Amino acid sequence: MKFWAVRIGSILAAIAGAFLIEFLARQTLDDYSRRLVVLAGIYVTLAVSLNLINGITGQFSIGHAAFYMVGAYTSGFLTNTFIQQANLPPLLWLILVCIGGAIGASIAGFLVGLPSLRLRGDYLAIVTLAFGEIVRIFVQNSEWLGGSYGMNVPFQENYIWLVWLLAFVTIACSRNLLQSARGLTFLAVREDEVAAQAMGVPTTRVKVTAFIVGSAFAGAAGGMLAHYESFITPMTFAMDQSFIILTMVVLGGSGSITGATLAAIVLFALPEQLRNLPPVSGATLAAVFISLIAAVALTKKTESQESLAKPERRKRYAIYWIGGILAAVLLANALSFIPIMRETTYEPGKLRMLIFAVTLIVLMMLRPQGVMAHHEFSWAWLRKVLRIQKPVEKESAT
Amino acid sequence: MMLAQLTFDLNTLPQQLINGILIGAIYALIALGYTMVYGVLRLINFAHGEVYMFGAYIALFISWLMGFGPGTQSSPANTVIYIGVMLLGSMLVCAILGMLIDRFAYRPIRNQPRISVLITAIGVSLFLQYAGALFLPNSPPPSINENVNPFQSAINIQIRPASSELLEQLQVAQQIYTTNNDQLAAMTAPSAVDVNAEELADQELVTIRTRREAEAAQREVDFDALTIRIPQGQLLMLGTAIVLMLLLRQLVQRTSAGRAMRAVAQDFDSASLMGINVNKIITLTFIIGSALAGAAAMMTATFIGTPLTTFVGVQPGVKAFVAAVLGGIGSIPGAVLGGLVMGIAETMVVWVGLSSYRDAIALVILIVVLLFKPGGLMGSNAVEKV
Repeated sequence: MKFWAVRIGSILAAIAGAFLIEFLARQTLDDYSRRLVVLAGIYVTLAVSLNLINGITGQFSIGHAAFYMVGAYTSGFLTNTFIQQANLPPLLWLILVCIGGAIGASIAGFLVGLPSLRLRGDYLAIVTLAFGEIVRIFVQNSEWLGGSYGMNVPFQENYIWLVWLLAFVTIACSRNLLQSARGLTFLAVREDEVAAQAMGVPTTRVKVTAFIVGSAFAGAAGGMLAHYESFITPMTFAMDQSFIILTMVVLGGSGSITGATLAAIVLFALPEQLRNLPPVSGATLAAVFISLIAAVALTKKTESQESLAKPERRKRYAIYWIGGILAAVLLANALSFIPIMRETTYEPGKLRMLIFAVTLIVLMMLRPQGVMAHHEFSWAWLRKVLRIQKPVEKESAT
Repeated sequence: MMLAQLTFDLNTLPQQLINGILIGAIYALIALGYTMVYGVLRLINFAHGEVYMFGAYIALFISWLMGFGPGTQSSPANTVIYIGVMLLGSMLVCAILGMLIDRFAYRPIRNQPRISVLITAIGVSLFLQYAGALFLPNSPPPSINENVNPFQSAINIQIRPASSELLEQLQVAQQIYTTNNDQLAAMTAPSAVDVNAEELADQELVTIRTRREAEAAQREVDFDALTIRIPQGQLLMLGTAIVLMLLLRQLVQRTSAGRAMRAVAQDFDSASLMGINVNKIITLTFIIGSALAGAAAMMTATFIGTPLTTFVGVQPGVKAFVAAVLGGIGSIPGAVLGGLVMGIAETMVVWVGLSSYRDAIALVILIVVLLFKPGGLMGSNAVEKV
């Protein structure tokens, strides 16, 4: 009984949460911010679905934007062609075409999943990247899909809650998968494919399933995007998008659903906030860059000194990073005495992709397993984290 | 729908093949960098395309420093020397850049899983693109403009004689143009007196019209004679590429550094046990590969002159990578062969009339090769062991 209570309770909580987001967004936000809320939901879906392929199954895919694109164009095409005849209520129609987009994307996922039977690691990565580009070039040259001018999707309604419900469903599916015996086979493929095969795991089926399921969710997210924006172009789904989604998964911690979700929100929201900032001067940029390099180098050096005790190490990290921030501020002021440094300014919005790039590099140097590593959020985990830190302090006292 | 649009015009085939070889030589130069780095590190160096992009910018800046900047009208003496300086300059800067990328991005994480290094490579590539976009000019004027480039003229090879009728027409058209041009010269010469502005304008118009007619006649003759047109600059490009590849071959096969490089490529750990300084060899690999990319970039920037942005390295980078995989990644002759095949494949796609798909063909080839012959044309077919 308790099992069903928890399950029904979570479903209701998810629906309530989605409506709460819609309600808050409608009450307190302007059109622009509301759009950001929708896009954040879409990115959460994308990151969690890529996490299923990349993190949980260990199949390194860097062409996720392709599935996103297939979903968006499939659903857009369905709406363009059939919305007149169908005459359904908009909400039902939207759900139907998003399912259509998901089916289209999962067919694409199946096609990409097939080579993953033979390829692994970086070769698979390059095939997924190539597939993404082929899809984009194909759409760009297809007149019936609007070519490079883009496609209009005649759909006026928008449902913020539906976008977030999709995100919650994606999270729930990933989580439930990991809790099941079938999910363990996915993890087994990630950890050691040969050993998994020896234990009777159907590795072929697992890998293809991961691609199909992951791309289906990305496709549904694409459908949501197409119908929310009413206009999509091939450039919306360029290679950059794949890298952004990848950064979210890697930052959160490959394999961690919590990590992917949080990283998607943070990495989407932070660069968006940059647009509102005043232009950055060259001095600030140089100061931040230099301090960052120094902090990373020092941290890396301390990491390699194995004789240091853990608390001492943590203390040093704290000193480096706090010192780094202070140094950046001081250096920025010092450098702004140089006229060229002061007078050249950069639009913060243009720094967006730069931030993703630096995040990727620094992360790989300092914490390649991601912020959350393979941990998931749970109350037990939180208690464990908090309890771990106490004995550490005691140790340092003695 | 698409098949109906295909055209197979045998008359233009030789020209397209030549074009393919010329582009292919450039792809081969870039592919060498990918294949060498993959050989020693098992890493797809995504940032290699960006090294190429920087090479093009460096060539541009050097040419500006030497006074070839926008608006230059006359060709300075010894342009060849200047072009040599540009070539060496961008090779040098690219070599340094490649070395720095290895030192600061890849070496600190050398012992981590390959996927981490791959993600770093993607990060470095994005970083160079977008950091470059902040500081470098977007679509600057070409490094060597048409007035100065001494290699603008082309060599024409006629496969069969043109019909005499067309040749006659050409002669007539050229004569008319020469007469008109002479008249115009007489009117604009400082010694000319009493020239009406209206008459001058008329004469200018007539001259331009007759020149166009002469050019059109020339084109018809060329078309009839199946002329292959090879711009001198591109021929020079091919020559330089061949020389560089031969030098590389000598270096890899005949010197002790080259032997060490091959040893590291064969077995990383054993090589270091045999007293080879692996880090030094890796640095050397990055230096050589990046210098070759710099040479390729300088030559395309100067002799082909595509508009320059900081994203210009992505497409050649992807294609050269495909060339390396096609030839068998890790194999140096394979990279050259792969580059040529890629170049020809690309122009063949243009030849049959699918020019909008010319960027897609590389990727299709990549997928097909990886699915059916993952070792590439000249690579070892060993299955990855665990």
